[in-house]
Amino acid sequence: MSQGISDRAVGDALTGFERLVTQDRVNAYAEASGDHNPIHLDEAYAATTQFGTRIAHGMLSLALVTEMLAIEFPKTWHSGSKLKVRFTAPIIPGETVTTYGEITAIDVIDNETGETRVATCTVGCKKPDGTDAVSGRATVPLE
Amino acid sequence: MANPLISTAVVGHEFGPYDVTIPADRARAYAEAVGGDESPDYGNHLAPVMVVAAALTELINDLGLFTGGLETVHAGQEVSWERQIEIGEKVEASGRLVSSSVRRGNHFATIAVSYTDAVGTEVGTSRTTIIVTGEQSQ
Repeated sequence: MSQGISDRAVGDALTGFERLVTQDRVNAYAEASGDHNPIHLDEAYAATTQFGTRIAHGMLSLALVTEMLAIEFPKTWHSGSKLKVRFTAPIIPGETVTTYGEITAIDVIDNETGETRVATCTVGCKKPDGTDAVSGRATVPLE
Repeated sequence: MANPLISTAVVGHEFGPYDVTIPADRARAYAEAVGGDESPDYGNHLAPVMVVAAALTELINDLGLFTGGLETVHAGQEVSWERQIEIGEKVEASGRLVSSSVRRGNHFATIAVSYTDAVGTEVGTSRTTIIVTGEQSQ
């Protein structure tokens, strides 16, 4: 559940969630995004790659991280926010991943409308073994 | 077979503009794929980063990232957004190759994309970094 703006403090954890990434979900994502690359869909092809099997789209894992941010900051995530991530490990279909985040800084930024408080958050998405599939940093206005 | 564009494009190469307007049925399919009932209801707006995903698909196709034995890894992604995008709202994506280098046989490339609305106002930006292996020549 998202907190009120005045409640935000450095060290606050964002409310993450778990999501099962099935091959059906990957297939559906491919249809919706238009990204039909065989590394996501063709097991025979994927077996020849460095991963040895099909992997989920990186943008699907990023969608999960941004979903967490949109829930956590429903009024401001889409207005002046920034996100920078690295894809550090592939998500294999069948894995349940967990999104996470934490506010690491709150700064006051001068802009055209005055001063705005901006939260910097570490964010990411972990695989079942605890390794990061996605990790990075988001900055989100708090007002 | 001609070299894919990723092997020949130089820094400054421009991509698009791509029409990344997302109709309602595609927006619904995307939201269903990402989370279905587990995801929030975004109302008349697109789910986060859907427009970026649509632009990336166009870039992948133009660059030929999965042709001719290439193997591509999506290594990093940056996104910034100024406002929410409504379902069906006209959005164009224009990209530019901002870095391209080869290290130890791996081709690292970054493409910056600007997203503009119907009146040409920038509503967001993204930067995609990819690593490509399997190229025959540069």
